[in-house]
Amino acid sequence: MALLEIHGLNKAFGGLQAVRDCSFHVEEGSITALIGPNGAGKTTAFNLISGVLRADSGRVIFRGEQIQHLPPHQITRRGMSRTFQISRNLEDLTVLENMIVQSPVHGWRGLLRRSMSAEERDRAMELLEFVGIAKLAHAETRDLSYGQKKLLDFASLLMSSPKLILLDEPAGGVNPALLESIMERITELNEQRGITFLIVEHNMELVMRISHSVVVMAYGSVIAQDAPDIVQNDPRVLQAYLGEVTL
Amino acid sequence: MATADVSVTDNRDTTTSSGYKSRKYILGVIVAALALVPVLQWQTTNNLNFWLNLLIIIFLWITMSTSWNIIGGYAGYISLGHNVFAAIGGYLAAMLLLRLDIPVFVTAPFAGLVAMVVGFVIGLITLRVRGPAFIISTIALVLVLRTIIDNWDFLGGVRGLTLPLIGLDVQLVKIPFYYAMLLVALLSIYFSYWIRHSKFGLGLRAISQDEIKAETAGIPTKMYKVLAYAASAFFIGVAGALWSQYVTFVDPGTYLIILFGARPVLMTLLGGKGTVAGPVVGAALVILATEFSESQFGGTELNVIGVGVVMIIVLLFFPDGLVGSLRRAGRLPALLDWD
Repeated sequence: MALLEIHGLNKAFGGLQAVRDCSFHVEEGSITALIGPNGAGKTTAFNLISGVLRADSGRVIFRGEQIQHLPPHQITRRGMSRTFQISRNLEDLTVLENMIVQSPVHGWRGLLRRSMSAEERDRAMELLEFVGIAKLAHAETRDLSYGQKKLLDFASLLMSSPKLILLDEPAGGVNPALLESIMERITELNEQRGITFLIVEHNMELVMRISHSVVVMAYGSVIAQDAPDIVQNDPRVLQAYLGEVTL
Repeated sequence: MATADVSVTDNRDTTTSSGYKSRKYILGVIVAALALVPVLQWQTTNNLNFWLNLLIIIFLWITMSTSWNIIGGYAGYISLGHNVFAAIGGYLAAMLLLRLDIPVFVTAPFAGLVAMVVGFVIGLITLRVRGPAFIISTIALVLVLRTIIDNWDFLGGVRGLTLPLIGLDVQLVKIPFYYAMLLVALLSIYFSYWIRHSKFGLGLRAISQDEIKAETAGIPTKMYKVLAYAASAFFIGVAGALWSQYVTFVDPGTYLIILFGARPVLMTLLGGKGTVAGPVVGAALVILATEFSESQFGGTELNVIGVGVVMIIVLLFFPDGLVGSLRRAGRLPALLDWD
């Protein structure tokens, strides 16, 4: 059953059609990779799905509900969380505060409550432990290394107990050890907690190892969606990455 | 299950740190001493009117700066037009006093509520933009209100409105205003402290750093900003109302000039934007520096230059304001660590 369905999504910036009649789906409980050459429209598609950008036309259906008209915070509340290509942690806040910001607030009374409950603190510490940066809980985020910021980005998403996580280039700029760690965490969350992932990624090792389905975009459109081993031999995909080959 | 809610920044051990333990007692003593100042005026033959007046002015600007800090400091939206809310409070209280003979001490909270409602409506419109566009919109707000009042005879036009003194002896006339302004300043500080340590405050701080990140984290940024803008208007409206009868005058040339709107910004930057104690420290320092400068150079432009030079020097050495820079350096005294 599809957790996320994209139907005929379009987005133009002036004369540039960044996303063109884009359609694909993400099965519940799957890890789906969204790949394509630079400028294919992957990040724009992410922004349209998560509400950061408003689509010119098309539909985004999440858990059976159309969400393309909703602002990002309402989409997050419905169970979809995302990271950005370049980590957008809140640099002047501590690591713990970055975690708590992601924790849902319930109603007016929740808004007026003190900034953190004991349960929230425990949960935040547990998640920081899960990604291995619990000892940095009270550090200022700006003092973290690039890799630690990536891990914080990842851990903070889990505070809102999402059903679907959108990761924009989680392997970008990380060393092999950290990449291995990130892949393990994604797999563990997917297998043990049933969280669905949609991942934009250029790292083919990550894509081929952990994803169940691969969506390929080129020039703003989806050109293929299938299992990884099928997609990697698809001539349309090879052409998109390598160009026209004549022998 | 009962939960112990805490502020997310409460990671220091407040139960064992003697600095933080004694902080509340020292602050209590300061507030008690401030509350006793008018008693000295009443009990002794010494004329303390100068000091009462100075403290009333400091309380006014603490209220202005602390309230401004909610939208400008916590949420990061720089408004140069918060004097509009002081004007709304001042004019409303003045009209109710002149037309219906209701004392400002009664109408001041109502004036604050009206300022807050107006702030909410204005926020819905102006907070659609950010950065320089928002700053310009707040200046435009001042100009629009000034043009309206200048040309509205019902509100006294450019001449303004003259209000009667309250019926007390000259030696006592400042005392009710002193206590009222002290109370408003203390409440505004507590309100700011409470917001800073609430979920709402954490959301505002997230907005100030990265609005898109805050929005994707699940924070309804538009609602937070509008609420912060309205909340920041309340105590300014109350203070504006009290100030109108304290100076027995309300006119556009006093309330609706750019300097009136810019002053809380400068005070907050000097003390530490986004901190609870910063606006309090900044307001007190600017007013004391201004008084000192006037006493040395008289009422000439030299005192304005003097205060400006002091501000430039302080901000060169303390770019995050006094409180912010001391915190970053790990040298902020526990007495001023309210964040």
